[in-house]
Amino acid sequence: MTVVVGVADMKVSNQANHLLVTHALGSCIGVAVYDPQARVGGLLHYMLPDSSLDPARAAENPFMFADTGIPRLFRECYALGAQKHRLAVKVAGGGQVLGGEEHFQIGRRNYAALRRIFLRNNVLVDNEEVGGAKARTMFLDLATGRVWVKVIGQNLVEL
Amino acid sequence: MSLIPQILRSLKHLPPFPVVAQRALNLLNQPEVSIEELVEVVKFDPGITANILRISNSAYFGLRREIHSLHQALLLLGTQELLKIIIASGATRLFANATPGYFQEHHGLWRHSISCALMADLLARELAATERTTAFTAGLLHDIGKIVLSLYVQQKFSQIMAVVDKRKIPFQQAEKLVLGISHAEVGGEMARIWDFPDRLRLVIHYHHLDRPEAFADDMVLLVYLADLLVMMFGQDLGNEGLAYDGFPQVLRHFNLRERDLERLLMHFSSSWGEAKVFFGLVGDGHAVQRAHRG
Repeated sequence: MTVVVGVADMKVSNQANHLLVTHALGSCIGVAVYDPQARVGGLLHYMLPDSSLDPARAAENPFMFADTGIPRLFRECYALGAQKHRLAVKVAGGGQVLGGEEHFQIGRRNYAALRRIFLRNNVLVDNEEVGGAKARTMFLDLATGRVWVKVIGQNLVEL
Repeated sequence: MSLIPQILRSLKHLPPFPVVAQRALNLLNQPEVSIEELVEVVKFDPGITANILRISNSAYFGLRREIHSLHQALLLLGTQELLKIIIASGATRLFANATPGYFQEHHGLWRHSISCALMADLLARELAATERTTAFTAGLLHDIGKIVLSLYVQQKFSQIMAVVDKRKIPFQQAEKLVLGISHAEVGGEMARIWDFPDRLRLVIHYHHLDRPEAFADDMVLLVYLADLLVMMFGQDLGNEGLAYDGFPQVLRHFNLRERDLERLLMHFSSSWGEAKVFFGLVGDGHAVQRAHRG
């Protein structure tokens, strides 16, 4: 069964028949985590790096921001029996328009925020497909933990 | 090999612009619009009133009372909001066909166009621009060139993308190199054929800012920026992804910082959720047939 993760949204699951998918990541970032032993996984699609932009909005929907969404993703997977040291972590998105190094950098800042959070919490990224001017769709198969990324207009690639 | 002769031939066979939207465009610059004038506009399409009421009653406007008539919609929403709804409802027929050169999804271009219209509206409010209805309309129609060019882009897509990657140029410039003309230029020609107001035509023609003239009108810059923000938001992205130029001088011109862009995206994500009623406006093949009868 396909479970769609919207923009500023997250789904976690331990149902082997679930395929989590999030469509058309532009500057947003998709984070997929999976514990192969507990067979628990989750997919987060956040839009912005930092909840200080609007704490009230972050309280309403933590999945909008990296700093509120990522901890929730991990916590909800732990609640289903996942363990941190077993989690495989894969990341996609963070696209950018062409040109300037300093402007229109939400994609880059989204990625930097994730790296900061992971560094602080000793989380390693197993594989990633980020940056560039690409639109990406991301899949997580709960039966196997396999993650695929589809760049729109190109073939499916496994992460 | 340039495909310009074929593309120009396609333009000769362009169906008429939907008459309701055409008449509504002519009301854009009018300070006061009466209910009689609006009734006069919508009477050309008997089906349109139902769509107008559907949008008026949607979560996007969040009215407490149910609207049953155009008159009531005018009273509760005001002329400008109603005009936006009429233009969006009237333009749907243009967008009924798939544009596989640009979008995988059948109604991808319509969804992108509505998103850009909503973002332009939001941006106009943020910048305290007075012409929000024009911003909405220009956002809605900025990519009409893709309707005609889709067929040709589909044939040459990998070639165009190879030029984008190799020369590090934006998609519309690669289109021009490979096909001889870009979707923005084709859109500008369509706007000329359909006799759009000049300002709207210029926005369509210059919305990727590849000519100095583009910088002469704030409305062009506003729609350009709305388009870029919608691409960053990501939903309904086209096959070319985000392969367009980001011009920092536009941000300086409007005195916007990166943080403001983040805030705009945040607000947009809520209104986008509530605006899904607009996405449903485009119908099936029947709408296409009716479009040709104009």
